[in-house]
Amino acid sequence: MTQQKLGLLFMAPVAAFLLIGFVSPILIVGWYSLMEPRSFDLNTVFTIANYRSAFSDGYGPPFFWSLSFAAVTTLTCLVLAWPTAKLLHRFAGRGAAVITALIAVPIFISESVRLFGMSLFLMPGGGILAGSVRALFDLSIGSVLNTKLAVYLGLVYVHFPFVLFPALLGVALIPQDRIDAARDLGASRWQVLREVELPLALPGLVIGALLTFVLCIGANAEAAILGGQTVTVLTRAVEQRFSYAQDWPMGAALTMLVIAMTAVFVFPALSRLDLNRLIRR
Amino acid sequence: MTRAWKYVGAIWLALVVVLLYLPILSVGLASLANTRYMRFPHRNWSIGAYTDALSQHETLVLHLTSLKVALLVTVLSVILATLGAMAFARYDWRGRSAFQKVVVLPIFFPQPVLGLALLLFFSALGFTPTWKTAVFAHMVWVLPIVTLVISIRLFGYDPAQEDAARDLGASRWQVLREVTLPYLSPGLISGGLFAFLLSWSNLPLSIFTTGADTTLPEWLFSRVATNYAPVVSAIAVIATLASVLLGCVVILILRLIDTHGIKGDGDHG
Repeated sequence: MTQQKLGLLFMAPVAAFLLIGFVSPILIVGWYSLMEPRSFDLNTVFTIANYRSAFSDGYGPPFFWSLSFAAVTTLTCLVLAWPTAKLLHRFAGRGAAVITALIAVPIFISESVRLFGMSLFLMPGGGILAGSVRALFDLSIGSVLNTKLAVYLGLVYVHFPFVLFPALLGVALIPQDRIDAARDLGASRWQVLREVELPLALPGLVIGALLTFVLCIGANAEAAILGGQTVTVLTRAVEQRFSYAQDWPMGAALTMLVIAMTAVFVFPALSRLDLNRLIRR
Repeated sequence: MTRAWKYVGAIWLALVVVLLYLPILSVGLASLANTRYMRFPHRNWSIGAYTDALSQHETLVLHLTSLKVALLVTVLSVILATLGAMAFARYDWRGRSAFQKVVVLPIFFPQPVLGLALLLFFSALGFTPTWKTAVFAHMVWVLPIVTLVISIRLFGYDPAQEDAARDLGASRWQVLREVTLPYLSPGLISGGLFAFLLSWSNLPLSIFTTGADTTLPEWLFSRVATNYAPVVSAIAVIATLASVLLGCVVILILRLIDTHGIKGDGDHG
């Protein structure tokens, strides 16, 4: 059999699965979003009423907050991950491998556990931090729990490894002799960073940033566990439309808007990346 | 790098690790007292929360539900992903780069949105959500990741080995069983580990797709959001230790494979 035929043969099961499990649910949501408000059945009488009310019904704040949290979290994670990745690359060896593994482990620990731990740590009065400070220094400190700041800290905490690992791939793409050459030619530290290192590491940074940004747009556990009632994020607002309001078509319209927003960021970035080069190492 | 910068770098890395583990450590510390309200440092340290957790039937049910979901996700994903990885990394065919990009799309997709979409999809098809629908939902997200993991291994594969085996008279099945799969096994094992752990710890997809069944992360989330009790911390620690233990065992197996025999050049017996 030719490579062409074998390729098609082997891709078929995965492609079929994703067609059923990924593409068709999105199509179903799209169909629901065009139904009469508050109906539960799919038919062929289409209306765009849900989209109209999605724009007029005060969903601005959830969209605004989720997008802002996503942008600020992505930036913070990039700023924190860059020096970490550079250091891990520079210290390459047994120690660095252990630290890399230690940073990877939390990815596989449930968000519920990690965020719960964060709330226990930040809890006012008898929390781990406040309690320890009181016992050690006899000081009462306040708490950021149940504020937007706590939500932001939780988002950075959960998503940091998602930026770090692609950033490590990116840093590995920078040949050391390029940096040395730029230095020899009189480039400053800042110029080396801006004109040599960042452009070369860009594929990794883009993947990390994109992943974090998209995951943050949908993130709702951080706000639920750490944010108290201070902020309603996007997916929480959408979910309420389905559960409390029992308005599936409207919920579906909001879901489609979130998906469209995600696609605006994902498609241009992914179409420019060469996955072969990045994964092959 | 000067000596001083080396110290600064080491301190930075240590700080990153400490901050990442502080919340996880906090759950452990909180679980070591059995009082109605959390007041740290505990006046009476005790493992009462653990004995309570272990005596509750619910603890067992939660673990079993999470276990059967994760095991099924692992087996099904590894089988499908192995096939997908061949198309992703092994064969050169027209449409491959498009396939590579489509496969990773579910990873770059907000999970709660995926969960909601799948919930609507199931109800449109008339399926009542149970742990079985959650298996399907987890796979939509896990399968692409496992495909990537196995592909990374497959990129280093030299297809000429297969030709050599064929020339020596091996059948297609023998080539698969004795050349390709042994080479791939570390990729399959780490892919399986990824699948299991990601399914075991998944919250956003489970919330929408398990129906009346409850997985561990879901239960923890509902208890955390409503009312604190030390037994919640204890169960969180038990569930986490279970997955860490599994991870260690699998990594040990990978190490053994690496040192004994099955190398990239197919020189095993």
